[in-house]
Parts: sequence; structure tokens; C-alpha cells
Amino acid sequence: MALGITNINNMAPELPLQFSEDLLSTPMFNLIHSFGCDLHYAESHIGKTTRMSRYERLSTDGGQLDGSGIDPAPEVVVRSDIDATMEIYAKTVVINEQVTLYENDKVLTKFTALLGQWLREKEDLLMRDLYSSSVSYLNATGGVNGDQPSEISRNDVNNIERILLGNDARTMLQSVDAMNKFNTSPTRDAFIALASTDITPDLQNVTGVILKAAYPSQEGLRPEEYCSISRFRFFVSSKAAKIPGASMLGATVYTIPMYGLEAAAKIDQNSYSAILGYRPPYVVSSVAQNSQLYAKFAIARAITNQNWISGLNVTARL
Amino acid sequence: MAFTILDGGSFVSDGTAKKIPLPSSADYFKTWNITQMPLAPVTPVVINGEWFGSKFGSGQTAANDGLRTKKSANTSVINIDTFATTTASDGFTYVTTSPVVEAQAANAITAITAASPAVVSQTNTYANGDILRIYNTTGMLQIAGMPFQISTVSGSAYTLIGLRAAGFAFAATAGNTRRISKFNAVDPEVVYVTEVTKATSAVVRFSVDPTAYYVVGMKMRFSIPASYGMVELNGLTGVITALSAANYTATIDIDSSAFTTFAFPASASSPTAALFATAAPAGAYTSYNPVTLVQTGYDFNKQPFHTGQFTPYMLLPGGAQSPAGAASDVINWMCYKLEV
Repeated sequence: MALGITNINNMAPELPLQFSEDLLSTPMFNLIHSFGCDLHYAESHIGKTTRMSRYERLSTDGGQLDGSGIDPAPEVVVRSDIDATMEIYAKTVVINEQVTLYENDKVLTKFTALLGQWLREKEDLLMRDLYSSSVSYLNATGGVNGDQPSEISRNDVNNIERILLGNDARTMLQSVDAMNKFNTSPTRDAFIALASTDITPDLQNVTGVILKAAYPSQEGLRPEEYCSISRFRFFVSSKAAKIPGASMLGATVYTIPMYGLEAAAKIDQNSYSAILGYRPPYVVSSVAQNSQLYAKFAIARAITNQNWISGLNVTARL
Repeated sequence: MAFTILDGGSFVSDGTAKKIPLPSSADYFKTWNITQMPLAPVTPVVINGEWFGSKFGSGQTAANDGLRTKKSANTSVINIDTFATTTASDGFTYVTTSPVVEAQAANAITAITAASPAVVSQTNTYANGDILRIYNTTGMLQIAGMPFQISTVSGSAYTLIGLRAAGFAFAATAGNTRRISKFNAVDPEVVYVTEVTKATSAVVRFSVDPTAYYVVGMKMRFSIPASYGMVELNGLTGVITALSAANYTATIDIDSSAFTTFAFPASASSPTAALFATAAPAGAYTSYNPVTLVQTGYDFNKQPFHTGQFTPYMLLPGGAQSPAGAASDVINWMCYKLEV
């Protein structure tokens, strides 16, 4: 072999690394807690509490006229008022000019996208907290892990369907009709169920589960959807609600809100629903070296009808 | 690194834990016990507490810990160690998320009486009004997993006003507790039902004081599993007509006279019995009396759905050797944030 070869040992590249043209993905958890709720709007300049009212139905008892000419007793109409307080959340990032000067990437653009992602994620967690705090859940008892609550079972899911149907709740998702495809099963019109990714092994193990891939059609399905059990379609997130140390034996309890139409509401504040802003260096810093990006939004949330939402407390088995 | 002082203040300790809501994430927190600072104490006291956040890397403070500056008994000699060292006492806990379990270790109980109200035997440092989740309750599994507010607290026992256990077959002989936040992430919140009378206006008892979350005029929807007997109440919504902080009860406009008796399931069947009986907020029925000019059923602080537990906050445990001090101590505090 000839000597005196010029190679990268004696002539290293001028630049030791290069920046790949494509950024890697920023992790984002599944956003499942907002899409099933009603969206309302609050006008500006008229207070921070929004009232949503519902007239309760009239009694169907009696009502037959007996021919005596005596009018039936009038019924006083009952109205239920559901109120929610507007709250404002914000996040900010301050950037030194040397970052924008030296970085290869367009950091201000990327940071703006991060703040946009924060808006969606924070909103999702706030809705999760509403479901976690203010809804009555039943403990699952049909499982075999020996804890109270047990892992999820078909009987537990059917019981929640019975509760919702008994309260005249309306399903939220349309049926997926049967098709002539192997290993697929139709799903009925369904209520929504929101669960933690921690219990997906248990979901797969429930009698009669139809995994998403076994739906006759995948058209229009959300990526967060996991399966269908009985009258519920399950959506999962790594950030779904769980309460550490809350079971009979001290294990983590996962709460699964299960609901139909108009069970919960998210209220946007007009003129303040989502604001992304930039403050230039001459405003943020006395020597104009730091700029600032910020995001803020206003939200109010409420359970609007407790009869149309229920759910399960479960523990994990698998 | 430059510091910004985020917030500061002062309070008079009542000997119990104090939550300090913070306007932003914190990196450094300090307390001063102004009352004890100039004194030569009869028993050891902590006069300074310091907490360091995650930006300090390996020097950050663990949950329920921090630096403590102590005076020994009958002297003004200063010693500095951490809350977790010998003669350990509760230190700082920085809480950023909710629902909240405030880094309280599981604590073993030795008994719960089958009495009304039930009394728990346990070596503890809890305070009146704390809410505990009780679990692993051997002999009394029907309450395992429920939260209870405690009162008449001594270092060895406390009372559960919300649990009338005289009808239980057995007392509990063992179990565990863990202190949890008094407020959920969102309020008004679900509360656990422990007793319902049979009356023209049913009186419902809860495991915690309902006046912290509800006012007269608000509505509750009841979820009563069949294992509790009173299935007629299941799914009904009632208006609260009276509340009692002393008894943890609410009177509702539901006639339960002819309902099946409400009772906890037996301990033996509890691992498979449907649990728990709960009541959830269902809006309000506001009324106005034009003669007395009294409006019933509204409290801006309780009725509208709102954040229950503001985060982040710093939890300062009470006690002579903890950051929030003993009863009547004046505590100053300041919270700082690093610029970078």
C-alpha cells in the first residue's frame, strides 16, 4: 500500500458536524380531553363567570282532564344553572440574541410552535382535571386482580352503559357499519371513554373488545382511539387521570370518564381564547439583547349534566 | 446567577401546615421564625428553613426536606442540619401538579373503632382538618380507598366525624393513611356519602366537611351503588337546604322516608361490592325572596366550576421544628427565582 495518503486522519473535515435539515419530533401526548365537550363562548366586558342554564323537563304524572272544568295544577318550571369561572394561563420563553445569532435553526419559529403546543396540552390537562375532580365514578369490580377497584371488565363497562341510557344520555359517535372484510366487526353508535395508556393491556383483555384495527373502516378515526368495548369507544393518553395510592390495597387508581353529548363544556373567552405574542429586544432588555415569546389563553370548564356522564375507577392487572 | 424575588409575606402560625401559592415556579425559598429568633427556647426550635429547587442539580432539596437552622433547648446556640437528619421533622414540599398527594409517606394505623364517630389510633403528626386517604383497612375494607377529614387530633389518635361506624360488624385492626390535598384540581368536587337518613328532607353525611365546597342552593346528584341499600336515591338530584360544618352533613329536598335503609356493605364482601356512594355537583337552584331581599344559592367562591388547588405552591408543615412554626409564631417567608 502506498504511503502518504491524504485521509481524514491527517485532514479532518473543516466542520466536525453538520445540522440535519429535518428537526426531530417534539414529543406530544394524545389530546383526548377536549374534543368530546361542548364549546361555548364568553363575551368580553361582562364579568368572568359564565352561566349555562337548562330547563328541566315537566313531570308527566297525571294530566288527564276529568270533565269537571277544574284546571290542572300548574307546575313550576325548574331551571338548573351551571356556572364556570374564567381562568387565564400563560407561558413565556425569553431568548438571548446570541441564540438567534449563532443557532443554525430558526429558533424563534420553533419556539413559537412549542408555545402553540403548550396551549393545546395545557388545555387538555385542565379538562382532564375537571373530569377527574367533579364526576362520580364507580369502582370496577368485575376483574380478578383482587383489588378494589379491580381491573376493567365487560360487566363494569355494561353497567356504565346502563346508567347513561337510564339517564337518557345520547351517544356521541356514529356507528361504523359492517363490511365484507375478514376479522372486522361493526361498532354501534357510541359514548366516549377516556383512559390512561397504562391500562391498554387490560383493555385488550376485556371480553368482546374490538381493537381499532378491526373496525370495518378506518376513515375519520382519530389516532388517539384505541378500541371499542360494548357501547363505548376508548381514547387513550399517557396523561389521562390517575390517583396514586387510592385503591383498597394502596395501588394507583385510573379514572375513566365515560359520557355522551352535552355532558361537559369548555368555554372560550372571546378575544382571549389563544394569544401568541412577541416582545422585541428593545422592550425586554435595556441593552436590547433579550426578546420574549409568550402564549396565553383563557378557559372556563364545567360539567353541564351529571346525568350524562359517569365512569369507572380501575386498577391495572396486566 | 441573578435572582428575582418572586414573592414574600408573613403569617401567624396556627401550628398546622401552611400552603403558600406561588406566582411562578420557584428556585429558592426561605422562612424565618421571627418570634423564636431572639429567644432561648425551652425546647429546640427551627428559626430558619431553606429550600433549593431543581436548578441546583445535585444540591436540590428532596421532598419534605430542606436546611434547618435550629436553636437547642435553653440556649441560643445555632445548629444547622437538614429536616431529614437525626430528630427528623417535616420540611418543605414544593407541589407543582394537582390532584395532589403531598409527598406524605404511608403511615400505619393500629385500629379504627366501630363507633359513631369512628376513632383512629395512629402515631401521627396530622392536624385538625387534614384529609387522609385510608386504605388497607383490615376488618373494615368497606372504607378502604376513601378520603376522610380528621378532627380532635392528638399524636396518637383522631376522630372521623364523617364515619358513623357503630353499625359495622368489626373494628379495623390495621391499615394505612396518606395525607392528600384538601381541594381537588377542580371545585366543586365529588364528595363521598357515608350516611343518609330516612326523612322528608334527607340528611346526608359526607366523609369530609361539605361546607368547604358547597353552599345552600347548590344541587347534588347522587350515585348510590346497590351495595349501599338506598338505591332509590341513585341518580336523583337534590337541592341543598342546609349544611353543617360540625356534623359534615347536608340536608336536601329529597323525601327519603320510604327509601331502603342506607348502609355500608360488609367488610367481607367489599373486595367485590360496588363502591363508593358519592355526590357530584349539579349546578344550582337560585332563589330570591323579594320580601326579605334574600338571595339563596349563590357563592362566587364555591358554586362556579373553578380551579380547586392553585399550583405551584410551597407546603410548609407546622410544628416547632418545621418551617411553619408552632402556634402563635410569626413566620416571614420569601421566594426567589433564578434568572437563568
